Amino acid sequence: MNLAATPLCWNACLSALRLDRWMMGELGAADSETVGTHVSTCAACSTAVAGMRGVREEVRVLPLPPVPGRPATRRRVTAVTVAGLSLALAASLLFVLRTPPATERVKGPGLGLAMYVQHGTEVRRAAPGETVSPGDAVRFAVSTPRPAFVAVLSLDPAGKASVYFPQAPRAAQVPAGSEVPLPLGTRLDTTTGEEQLLGIFCASAVELEPIREALERRQGAASLPADCQGLRWSFVKR
Amino acid sequence: MILDPAAIASLYRSHGHVVLRRARTLLGSEADAREVLQEIFTALVRNPDAVRSAGSIVGWLYQATTHHCLNTLRKARTGARVLELHVRPGLTEIGGPRGEAAAEVRRLLALLPEDVAAAVVYHHLDGMTHAEVAELLGCSRRQVGYLLERAQGLWDRAEQTA
Repeated sequence: MNLAATPLCWNACLSALRLDRWMMGELGAADSETVGTHVSTCAACSTAVAGMRGVREEVRVLPLPPVPGRPATRRRVTAVTVAGLSLALAASLLFVLRTPPATERVKGPGLGLAMYVQHGTEVRRAAPGETVSPGDAVRFAVSTPRPAFVAVLSLDPAGKASVYFPQAPRAAQVPAGSEVPLPLGTRLDTTTGEEQLLGIFCASAVELEPIREALERRQGAASLPADCQGLRWSFVKR
Repeated sequence: MILDPAAIASLYRSHGHVVLRRARTLLGSEADAREVLQEIFTALVRNPDAVRSAGSIVGWLYQATTHHCLNTLRKARTGARVLELHVRPGLTEIGGPRGEAAAEVRRLLALLPEDVAAAVVYHHLDGMTHAEVAELLGCSRRQVGYLLERAQGLWDRAEQTA
């Protein structure tokens, strides 16, 4: 394998360091203007910057590091802790779908669901709870440390559940990887309000209709098959 | 620069994403990436002098993140920690080339000497020029070229013996 052609290689023209320094105001005025002009006209660099801004928004709702004299927070949060945290932070994204039996892990390490939104010509990585517009195009990316069968379902503001991905009766295979784009994008309809998303990661190609039906019937409180783990997201359409 | 706990909390909010984003790429694990984020800023609370003398906070965070992540990858290699945590036995292998290749990159990074691995991370994963890598590693551009050449040789050899 050529080191310059691995899947982890940076693919914008300006380095991540240079873009980070620009975003954080560490460049001189002339240099900053040069970078800003380039970013505004370069699709690869503007996409990279949008991704950076998305992560910055995520960090703003994460717990602060422990300070001396204050009890340390648990580094690896449990599923239940994540659930409580998410309820406290309305904009947070990861929480469990139901209280798990003691033997079952509902949220696995390394699992992730991300959403990219195209509004006009601008593409950005949406933060949880973000506002989007009817007509925006969205595409999902998932992170999974091992190959998994994946599906993305939604519960729209009118209480109707549907399957975003895949357009098939069963969850689709996705390889292990970080932010693997799902092959299917979609354009948002005109229903406004909060839309809930449910990403599921399973060990087998589970049938989706029972999950969709339960999601709709129980208005988001659907339980999952035993070999599945779930992540929840939401965005506001208006 | 005064770095009391309140200032470090503010720094965490404003600059933490620099750490989290790169740790996600390097480790391929959300839980491990968040742990690195917490570790770096917790260490900063204990020892604010670490960043006080740095010319660039972003540069210092790049160095700290790279160091922590390479250590995590090495621990994963020796203790098979990542494998135990992240690979559930019995799951169907799909053979996605992108995910497998990314995992292979991480495995091989753990095999490289720290300065060589850091040069690879900065140049290939962060897209830095040789001059930028040289600044973070505190060496000459020629040395960066040497480290990257050495990395490719070690990489090829590791792949052949894998």
